[in-house]
Amino acid sequence: MHDFETVTPEVWRLNEKSWKEKLMKLPNWHRVPLINCNASHNLSDGTLARFRGMVQDMHNPEFYFEEFEVFNTATNEVKTKSGKYTDTASILENEKINYTENLKSAQRQTMVVVSLPGLNEWAQKMEDDKNHLKHLEEQPNTSKRLNTTKLKRSYDCDEDVNAMEVEDDSGKKVANKAENIIEKPSVVSREHLLNFPLPDVASKSCIIKIYDDSENLKINDMVEVVGFLSVDPALSGEFQGENNSFLEPCVETEVETITHNPPPSLVPRLHVVYVKKLEHCNPLVKDGDQENLLKEANSARDHLLKALTELLLGDKLAAEYLICHLIACVYLRQDTITLGQFCLNISNLPTKRYPNYAKQLYDVIKQFVTKSYYLPLTIENMNTMALLPKKDYDCNRLTSGILQLSKHTHLVLDETQMEQGQLDSSGVNNITALGNLIKQQKVEYDFKYYKMEYDSDISVLILSEGKSLLPSDYHVPLRPESSSLEIFDAIVEAATYYLKEEIMNTIRMYLTNLKIVKYSISENLQFVEEDFIEMRSKSDTENPVTADDLHRLLVLARLVSLSRGLDTLTKECWDITKQMEEDRINRVKNRVASTL
Amino acid sequence: MAMRDYAGDKESFKNFFIDFCQTDEDGNKYFKYSEQLTKVAHREQLAFVVDLDDLSENNEELCEAVLKNTRRYTNMVSDVVYEMLPDYKHREVEAKDALDVYIEHRIMLESRNHRIPGEMRDPRNRYPPELIRRFEVYFKDLSTSKSVPIRGVKAEHIGKLVTVRGIVTRCTDVKPLLIVATYSCSACGAETYQPVRSLQFTPPPACTADECRLNKTAGQLHLQTRGSRFQKFQEIKIQEHSDQVPVGHIPRQLSVYCRGETTRRAQPGDHVAITGIFLPLLNSGFRQMVQGLLSDTYLEAHGVTCLNQSDESESPEALTEEELAELAVDDLYTLMARSLAPEIYGHEDVKKALLLLLVGGVDRRPNGMKIRGNINICLMGDPGVAKSQLLNYIDRLAPRSQYTTGRGSSGVGLTAAVLKDPFTGEMMLEGGALVLADQGVCCIDEFDKMAETDRTAIHEVMEQQTISIAKAGIMTCLNARVSILAAANPAYGRYNPKRTIEQNIQLPAALLSRFDLLWLIQDKPNRDKDLELAKHIAYVHQHSSQPPSEVRALSMRLVRRYIALTKRTHPAVPTNLTDYIVSSYVELRREARNSRDVTFTSARNLLAILRLSTALARLRLCNEVMKEDVAEAIRLVDMSKQSLQHVEDNVQRGVSATDRIFAVVRELAGSSSTVKIADVIERCIDKGFKPDQVDACIEEYENLNVWQVNQVRTKITFM
Repeated sequence: MHDFETVTPEVWRLNEKSWKEKLMKLPNWHRVPLINCNASHNLSDGTLARFRGMVQDMHNPEFYFEEFEVFNTATNEVKTKSGKYTDTASILENEKINYTENLKSAQRQTMVVVSLPGLNEWAQKMEDDKNHLKHLEEQPNTSKRLNTTKLKRSYDCDEDVNAMEVEDDSGKKVANKAENIIEKPSVVSREHLLNFPLPDVASKSCIIKIYDDSENLKINDMVEVVGFLSVDPALSGEFQGENNSFLEPCVETEVETITHNPPPSLVPRLHVVYVKKLEHCNPLVKDGDQENLLKEANSARDHLLKALTELLLGDKLAAEYLICHLIACVYLRQDTITLGQFCLNISNLPTKRYPNYAKQLYDVIKQFVTKSYYLPLTIENMNTMALLPKKDYDCNRLTSGILQLSKHTHLVLDETQMEQGQLDSSGVNNITALGNLIKQQKVEYDFKYYKMEYDSDISVLILSEGKSLLPSDYHVPLRPESSSLEIFDAIVEAATYYLKEEIMNTIRMYLTNLKIVKYSISENLQFVEEDFIEMRSKSDTENPVTADDLHRLLVLARLVSLSRGLDTLTKECWDITKQMEEDRINRVKNRVASTL
Repeated sequence: MAMRDYAGDKESFKNFFIDFCQTDEDGNKYFKYSEQLTKVAHREQLAFVVDLDDLSENNEELCEAVLKNTRRYTNMVSDVVYEMLPDYKHREVEAKDALDVYIEHRIMLESRNHRIPGEMRDPRNRYPPELIRRFEVYFKDLSTSKSVPIRGVKAEHIGKLVTVRGIVTRCTDVKPLLIVATYSCSACGAETYQPVRSLQFTPPPACTADECRLNKTAGQLHLQTRGSRFQKFQEIKIQEHSDQVPVGHIPRQLSVYCRGETTRRAQPGDHVAITGIFLPLLNSGFRQMVQGLLSDTYLEAHGVTCLNQSDESESPEALTEEELAELAVDDLYTLMARSLAPEIYGHEDVKKALLLLLVGGVDRRPNGMKIRGNINICLMGDPGVAKSQLLNYIDRLAPRSQYTTGRGSSGVGLTAAVLKDPFTGEMMLEGGALVLADQGVCCIDEFDKMAETDRTAIHEVMEQQTISIAKAGIMTCLNARVSILAAANPAYGRYNPKRTIEQNIQLPAALLSRFDLLWLIQDKPNRDKDLELAKHIAYVHQHSSQPPSEVRALSMRLVRRYIALTKRTHPAVPTNLTDYIVSSYVELRREARNSRDVTFTSARNLLAILRLSTALARLRLCNEVMKEDVAEAIRLVDMSKQSLQHVEDNVQRGVSATDRIFAVVRELAGSSSTVKIADVIERCIDKGFKPDQVDACIEEYENLNVWQVNQVRTKITFM
């Protein structure tokens, strides 16, 4: 292990293959410091570190010098060095790079990775406990970094940007720096540099440089990368000297330079040696075998059903649907079909009595799932928020939007917060975007000159009073029991009490596991076909039965079976599913009748 | 690797410029490069463009060398041209700007100072060539070379000539870039020249002229802007087209440096093809200090061409082998029809009609009369039968299309509006959806919801394919060669077969008759079809893929490209088919008279059949319409009529196919008592019966002794 604490890019380069093999066999990954949980100023430049997050943006590839010669003017020695896994040339004072010959260029891919958007507190906390390395804080190793440059500016997480603190050993430099800041009014904000999809959430971001072309990373992928940290403060674009615009046509705007070269203390660079794509980000889940997982499913489901039924004011059907919603994910995407999406709309919430019911419900849900985000659908939010990511050509980067989420994130839309009002054009666009997300699981990114659709896998739960204005796959009007309605506050309390840490963890594992479990349908689906034909023959114009209905039934049947720990479709589950849908449709119909 | 013989190359270039000539149609010889040289010599032309097509014709090996090391050859050609220029200078050129005068002076001065007898010294020598050369050398890429995707421009392309396509996202202002800096010394007055080859330069510290050096005065140098040479410089950034980006990736960008004549060619938002040399750029200043290990890259433009939207559809690019293999199936027509909106199950005939709409018939202009080739289709149907989805799909598939809804668009919004410019007070025309979709498809959803007055605006478009404007003093006629694809809901929520179409959709007959095909889509439970559908869906869920037995749908891109290809053929109807078409039409008319017709059978139907059959011929990439095409066109027209009479069929369910065939035969026979069986079969197939049904019918009635069949079974005689 100690090898990995001390290995440098040069040593690594000498024997890349064996180092990588060693890394693969490493029993305790968490000993490699995870930047998400350890402040980057406690890590030293040029050592191995890990970062976990979502690919947020991809920049143009960089051409670096894989091999170059340096000429030492003092000793007249010529040495060959490499620029791989490093940002700065480790050259001595009297060494000069030979730019004219024996240069070997290679390409590396730069990406911006941000910490997983919507990662819930409990998961974060668990990660912290597991990965926080105490010894790093005990031995301050800033010495190395202070040597390399004389300037150091630290952005601490809880520090305000405007009150930037400048640390230095000589007072003169501080004053000097302060002047600089005043001169440059275009210093951009911390939020701008971090570019996190969700507003008001603390996050970290990291620029990773990938050397291996075969890593086919896509945008919004969840990744864990291991690489050499590069935090040389000189990399910050704010230190760029003045350009003489007359003699030298300015190629990049200042904002662009700063955006692409944020202070490394805020956004560290990582020269990647290994990329792991993550299927999930639940710290509790270990790769176990499928059978065991399924065996435990039923008990977890019972706990969950009990808790949710109580929270949904005694409505068991709604609770069943909510469970299905929580374990749903897109499992097939081919040509134009997307299967597995499960947008649930729970309407008829008792908002008159409990105006914050939706939020309270979300507070419980977020305890179960790893990633979630609560978005109140107010007129103001719709008009002002940036839901869709947009390319910013001034800064030359993709400015994130709320809908840029990694897969298996739960988006809870609270429509009970909506009041009457005027939607402006951006509001209408936002509503359309949400509609598209729900219907097709695709998010359109705006590249100004054209738009591009990216696949997403975000489960949307809409909580509303009446039927939502957004489309949904399954609409369940809540039918609260009057007895539960009286004592809702007490129920919440009881539920919190009931859901002890242990039970919670079972549920958390259950929800994540079921998303990655393999599921198959046996060959014989006669009963499904028969039922469909029967349904069709009964269909009339008021209740048309179409192909979509069959798709919906099959998706639901899959989730009903999975939630019960079965990895295949049985007749019983199919019957349960049909019954559920029938109950639900009856409810929807009756509700319409009652309002009329 | 052996060094190339650059001196030899230089000589080859020289000969090439002198000798190269093209012969135009009239047989006149045209010395392309000599002409250019003359123009350049007389300062009538700045750019000297070498077309690599010409070079490769002449000297293929040299052309390849140029492609691989373009920067070097640019300089070489520049030298060659410079040497050759004096020979092409036939008259004195008057000085055009201050720099010309300046240079002239210096050359004269120099030649006077150094007039040493016997020395054959070129007086221009002391000056950097960049200062005196007033031309620019550009290479034009081979027309056969393919454009490289921006993503594909990699380290191995450094120094080579590449052509990329993309969309311009940013343009800087055009700025002067210093090429040669001229300094004058404050002490001795001597002039120093410094050629600048990169974006930055460091001025020399002190005067290096003999006088100063000997006297050790170290005179100060001052930059002379008038004596320095500047060049126009612009940086543009291009970004990949959306179809070049792999799924799940972010579009990449590329910096392009344009100098001189290549500047101001494009604006943000333009689609461009840029030919240039891909070069690394060494950083300096901050970047060099910090990121000394990085090099930025850029493309030095040699040619910037704006592509407009229609050119850019890549129609000239031939289909690749795999694509051809994919297309080489027996029934391409059905396969392509199935590939339209594959997520919508069934509705094959509707999809076929839509495919023909995309392909379009051939426009005819006999003696000034104009017969449109575009096919208009109206889809009707109960709510929720995927009409809008079909429209949406077509909108996405068609290279040029506009999508509007009837409720949201007014007649003005569809056709054109006259606007008053707030600044100049002039009247301007602003095109509406139909004008914008010129030579494309205009999809109008909720056609029935449009206001009556607005709909009339469409009448002209649908038949004449133009829009006439007479408003506010502007009288003009705009082209609107569009195919209209409309979707309408029945007036009372559901289609009522007992009423006519006009009553059902509340559209006037004048408008309805302009649609080549009217289609009523209904979703009726049907045991067999439902079972098929259920099996299909179950399979998808079971195996997480489409059933293998089914033909895999072609990708949207391939369909789009194939359709672009079909548009290049212009099939004609051969004369021997006219009889067949005429008789079919007469038959249609007669039928319409006899039966209770809900649609309108008019001369427009005949045109529709012709349009559909030409479209079918196009789809086969064939220049002649065949009988099968006409038969299929008639079948489609008939099917569309049948879809409207759908419910009547249900009423006549008791009537078997045999009985109906019998009726057909009776009709065909008319007053005579004999009918040819070949005619019967043909007619019945047009009506959608199968040959074996016809045979069964003939046999059955023969047994009943209603008619007799002759021995060779070619004739039926009624008893």
